[in-house]
Amino acid sequence: MKFKIYRYDPEKDAAPRMQDYEVTLDVHDRMLLDAIIRVKAQDDTLSFRRSCREGVCGSDAMNINGKNGLACVTNLKELQEPVVLRPLPGLPVIRDLIVDMSQFFKQYHSIKPYLVNDTPPPEKERLQSPADREELDGLYECILCACCSTACPSFWWNPDKFVGPAGLLQAYRFIADSRDHAASERLDNLEDPYRLFRCHTIMNCVDVCPKGLNPTRAIGKIREMMVKRAV
Amino acid sequence: MRRLRTDILILGSGGAGLFAALHAQAANPSLSITIAVKGLLGKCGCTRMVQGGYNVALAAGDSVERHFMDTIEGGKWLPDQDLAWTLVTGAIERVHELENEIGCFFDRNPDGTIHQKAFAGQTFDRTVHKGDLTGIEIINRLAEQVWARGIARLEEHRALEFILTADGSAIAGVLLVDMHDGEYVLVEAQAVLLATGGGPTMYRFHTPSGDKSCDGMAMALAAGLPLRDMEMVQFHPTGLLAGAHTRMTGTVLEEGLRGAGGYLLDGNGERFMQKYDPRGERATRDIVSRAIYAEMRAGRTTPNGGVWLSMAHLGADNVRRQFKGMVERCADCGFDLAGGRVEVVPTAHYMMGGVEFAAGCTTALTGLFVAGEDSGGVHGANRLGGNGVANSTVFGGIAGDAMAAWVAREGSFRVSDARAVEAAIARADRPFHSGEASDLEAIRERLHTTMWDDAGIVRDAASLAHAARFLDALAQQLHGYALPTAARTRAFNLTWHDWLNLTNLVAVSRAIVRAAVARENSRGAHFRADFPEPGELSASAFIRVRDRGGALGVESVPVRFTRVRPGASLLAS
Repeated sequence: MKFKIYRYDPEKDAAPRMQDYEVTLDVHDRMLLDAIIRVKAQDDTLSFRRSCREGVCGSDAMNINGKNGLACVTNLKELQEPVVLRPLPGLPVIRDLIVDMSQFFKQYHSIKPYLVNDTPPPEKERLQSPADREELDGLYECILCACCSTACPSFWWNPDKFVGPAGLLQAYRFIADSRDHAASERLDNLEDPYRLFRCHTIMNCVDVCPKGLNPTRAIGKIREMMVKRAV
Repeated sequence: MRRLRTDILILGSGGAGLFAALHAQAANPSLSITIAVKGLLGKCGCTRMVQGGYNVALAAGDSVERHFMDTIEGGKWLPDQDLAWTLVTGAIERVHELENEIGCFFDRNPDGTIHQKAFAGQTFDRTVHKGDLTGIEIINRLAEQVWARGIARLEEHRALEFILTADGSAIAGVLLVDMHDGEYVLVEAQAVLLATGGGPTMYRFHTPSGDKSCDGMAMALAAGLPLRDMEMVQFHPTGLLAGAHTRMTGTVLEEGLRGAGGYLLDGNGERFMQKYDPRGERATRDIVSRAIYAEMRAGRTTPNGGVWLSMAHLGADNVRRQFKGMVERCADCGFDLAGGRVEVVPTAHYMMGGVEFAAGCTTALTGLFVAGEDSGGVHGANRLGGNGVANSTVFGGIAGDAMAAWVAREGSFRVSDARAVEAAIARADRPFHSGEASDLEAIRERLHTTMWDDAGIVRDAASLAHAARFLDALAQQLHGYALPTAARTRAFNLTWHDWLNLTNLVAVSRAIVRAAVARENSRGAHFRADFPEPGELSASAFIRVRDRGGALGVESVPVRFTRVRPGASLLAS
């Protein structure tokens, strides 16, 4: 199988370049990560992040034939050759396919992604009905791989001001949590021409999410709540 | 080399490391606390990968005594009973803390209380969970709390060696390498927590993430600390088997599938577990793994050489609803878990063994604390499914409290031995300077094969001797390894880190083999074909391994039955 891979070593390269590779696959090589490991065996200088290899940690997010995804759960059969691999768009490159995620996490932290509830903790758990619990399905599964935010043109333009789809999905996860008491402050925190409203429902986020989540819908729900509380 | 100072240095960002940071800070907000981890915080390691859940005696009818007895009997009477008692009592406090303070959100019963599901090897349905992806919930919420509280982070910083004082009486700091630019970093600290997690990735089939390489245990061995129960490597019975090379193979299909009533079928489609244990598929992990291995050795296998896991009789829709994450993962590899059947194989999952420790997570080295999978003694010969994340979070919190108190009481910054720092750097730096380039992937393959074939689910004296010789040869080869000239830049040099990983894996593999040779009986995860009997339970002893100047020494240490003796129970009949 043929690959074109983005290469950049800050100690050696003045500018990034694309390098061609060809590896022989085994019938059991299923996922893109399997093939990248074969490329790595051929070229000791290649660098990329990987950890869980089962789509849970989000470390091997990259741009695959123009679309963001996780190498470990991208089926090789679905890829056209040559497979073009680049780092996630819009983030500074540390080396090869490894990007600096600081800006992404800065936006994520800005939504205060933790439970706020000032009532004293009960002796046991806070009760929650199955229906209220169900409201969080499709939100809590986010693995913070950054595929969505780095596929979003609004995030490319304003990574310092627009929270981005990953952060907004998590913002709604806390707003929707029946045990959280800070919904109103959370909405205040997003009521800004950039933080929330730079979303133009382009829906790249939905298209690329490796977990099948829908940030656009969550953003829509936050907007609805803002409208409701305004009237 | 850069130098940093922090009151408390925590190595690892799983359940143990993050809980320790939060507890230490709550105990004394003026402490400077730093978490160093070889990946990104919250995005690497194994707590995140927990599927099934968290054992805790919450429900009416269950009790800590019952959870304790399941843990002791599951551990074949080898656990340290006081540590196991701390685990089962601490789990109640910790799960409420996770829910009410950390903001985790576990699945609910219709009345709004926490739902608990069935896991194998337990006499009560006590496993708290969030769907079948419990770890994401725990680690994301913990990471958020850590981020929100200004705890310092050294991400993608890999710990290399403990640095002691010149007289060797205490730890003074840790030598790390910043993976981004390859620079060495000496972090001096009053207290250090070892919480990097284990991760037996030296076996051909394994569940932990690819970046796990037993770094913490290797560092502890190198520092001459005593480790116990190293022969006890848990094989999870149901690893996905999707072909030889794919990294998907070995990933775990959660225990709840057997708990819920899933069947294991041999290559001919026949159930076989009843031949091995009256509990059938719901027997403990060690028994089920051995039974599957026996079927494999008898040749009654699936096309890829494993057995089938079949759930269809429970209703495809039901399976899809209850095990959404598992169904999706199998579909990624072309299997229909809900309606069809999936090839599975036992897969190395967890190390019961680790650094010996006392209440308060202290070790034999002053200033060094340990928690989570790097530690040994809580689980004995076998860990119950759901007791792993309970262990890391319970003892992580205890370690945080203990370190804060210790720093206040008798902590100080100690002078690190400059010559030891120099020597440690020279060891890590060697492949940049001299030696012979060789194929690290080939070395990894050989390590996988040796450990699986000769020191895996079934062992005997001859196979272990073979493994020992082989590991010596691999260690030699790694010792003489040089990076290819083109791969000698420092920034994110994966090949260099692969070499460091393999070196640690081989060091810990040798400890596993040494302990397995010493245990001439069969308990829990350790099965000797030449000594198949468990031995007298009342004379139970654990194996202690430590490095003495390059050679591994072992001793057998009697288990103290501080709460219950074999044959007795804490439960009123």
